[in-house]
Amino acid sequence: MKLFFSQLGWELFRLFARKRTYIGFGVFLAVEMLFFYFFSVGRGADRMEAFIERVAGGVNEYFSALTLAFIIVAFTMLLLGLVFVALVAGDILAKETEDGNLRLILVRPISRFRLLVIKFLSCQIYTTALFLFVGVTALLVGILSRGWGGAMMVWSPDLPRVSLFNWNEGMFRYFVGILGYSIVYLPVTGIAFMLGCFRIKPAAATIVTVAVLIGDRILSSIPLPAIDPYREYFITSRMDAWLLLMYQDVPWPRFWEQSGWLLGIGLTGFVIGWLVFERRDVKS
Amino acid sequence: MLSFSGISKSFEQGRPAALVDVSFEVGEGKICGLLGHNGAGKSTALGVLLGMVHPDSGEVIIGGCPVLTDRQNAIRKVGAIFEAPAFYEYLSGWHNLKILTAYSGAVDRKMMEETVEWVGLGSRIKDRVGTYSHGMRQRLALAQALLPRPEVLILDEPTDGLDPEGIVEFREQLLTLREELGLTVLLSSHLLGEVEQVCDEVVILQRGIKVYEGKVRGMDHGWSTFVIESEKSETLMKVVQKLGGKKMGDLFQFPSELAAADLLEKLVKDGIRVTKFSEEEESLEALYLKFSQVAGKGDES
Repeated sequence: MKLFFSQLGWELFRLFARKRTYIGFGVFLAVEMLFFYFFSVGRGADRMEAFIERVAGGVNEYFSALTLAFIIVAFTMLLLGLVFVALVAGDILAKETEDGNLRLILVRPISRFRLLVIKFLSCQIYTTALFLFVGVTALLVGILSRGWGGAMMVWSPDLPRVSLFNWNEGMFRYFVGILGYSIVYLPVTGIAFMLGCFRIKPAAATIVTVAVLIGDRILSSIPLPAIDPYREYFITSRMDAWLLLMYQDVPWPRFWEQSGWLLGIGLTGFVIGWLVFERRDVKS
Repeated sequence: MLSFSGISKSFEQGRPAALVDVSFEVGEGKICGLLGHNGAGKSTALGVLLGMVHPDSGEVIIGGCPVLTDRQNAIRKVGAIFEAPAFYEYLSGWHNLKILTAYSGAVDRKMMEETVEWVGLGSRIKDRVGTYSHGMRQRLALAQALLPRPEVLILDEPTDGLDPEGIVEFREQLLTLREELGLTVLLSSHLLGEVEQVCDEVVILQRGIKVYEGKVRGMDHGWSTFVIESEKSETLMKVVQKLGGKKMGDLFQFPSELAAADLLEKLVKDGIRVTKFSEEEESLEALYLKFSQVAGKGDES
């Protein structure tokens, strides 16, 4: 086990030592600064105050750093999160195969399964690190914009009603929500990783994953009764499960059920990828 | 130490096989050259040997461990260098070594430092690989292949792109490794001069078929090679077999205890009208070209 963690540690070291890994972090910072402008400097602040007053009342209390941070995280990760998680997961094996690094690893006494487990876990750790980074920096932007303290308001069309939390409860829910948000991205990692195990260009693995999930999101969002019976089967519908953690009273059974599905989709992607990779000839 | 028996491999149906029933062995402490044109099947053979390419049939054994069923234990004894080894350019040579050796288990820091010094990378090992010259990358490749101590070294075009000084240095390192560590080496190369200078024996592949296995010069594990021409080739073949000889392309091989004069006498006594007879003490280049031509003629016919 010690050896496994040593190998995982070096894989993470390699991943985080790469400049392109930080492209995602940089892009998110830029988007957060845009939000800061919208909410603090531009005309958006007045409109936001009016919106909060209408939905929750008590704008001074609920238009807080936490409310702002939640909005930033929810919207930036919705699309950009998909791109950057797919980029890393699609890249991690396909790029090494393309560059030839994999040949130097595969002449080592390590099974392909173990190698894939290490790489898959690294992707998931990267995802969590990225979400936490965005969460912390979004909160800093929120504090910069609205100051420390106040309460938290969470509003989304998917929520049965507006959730209101005091500062401490809000802080707890905020970080639990971010962790949950990173976990529901497991299918993104799974699909991109699976594609990366095929004989495919790294960029293709990323593009196909993003295309599939955007298509899934579009289909699941079509406001037609014919779609309703199938809506819950769409991957992106299930990925909204993280919002359950922001309900005033968290429906835990529903959350675990949805998480189980997402875990299943992610692991299915891993297993298919492993079966393909195990049978692949790796040659110069 | 290294046995490759009956290996066949096809990558796509309808295309010529990459390897056809290839068998050879490399004894402990020997340096064996694997020769062949581009596309002859050398890289596929090395891939099979390292468990990276799955053969359709056959078996590979390294140090008593079958690669196909017990790959991890078999590969534990092996270090490998590939043509243009791909390291993580953005990391230092030291970190590359740490990452690669982590996949082999814990490697003692002292052993790593000694190896780095031995390959001559001591002063640059903390620099990014992206700043390394081709020669330095090859040194790093050698260092990673030697960590932790292997019993078998697989080298795929290790001197490709090196300058003449680098080639000479690499050759000396290889011979030193054999002397000091008793390593068994399989060297794939298209540089015949290189192979001739360091290898004890060679295997020549042509379009996936082994066309020659033997010592680098004429004598083949106690076999002598002859050019024999006769008007009656069928009769000649019968007599050759009777005398314990075999045909290898246009050449004939006989047990080396059979002297050339004795062989000629026996052939004549058996009624063979010999029109041409000579013992081959040829260079590897001549041997290689001869077998290449044999394979080429076979393809044409």
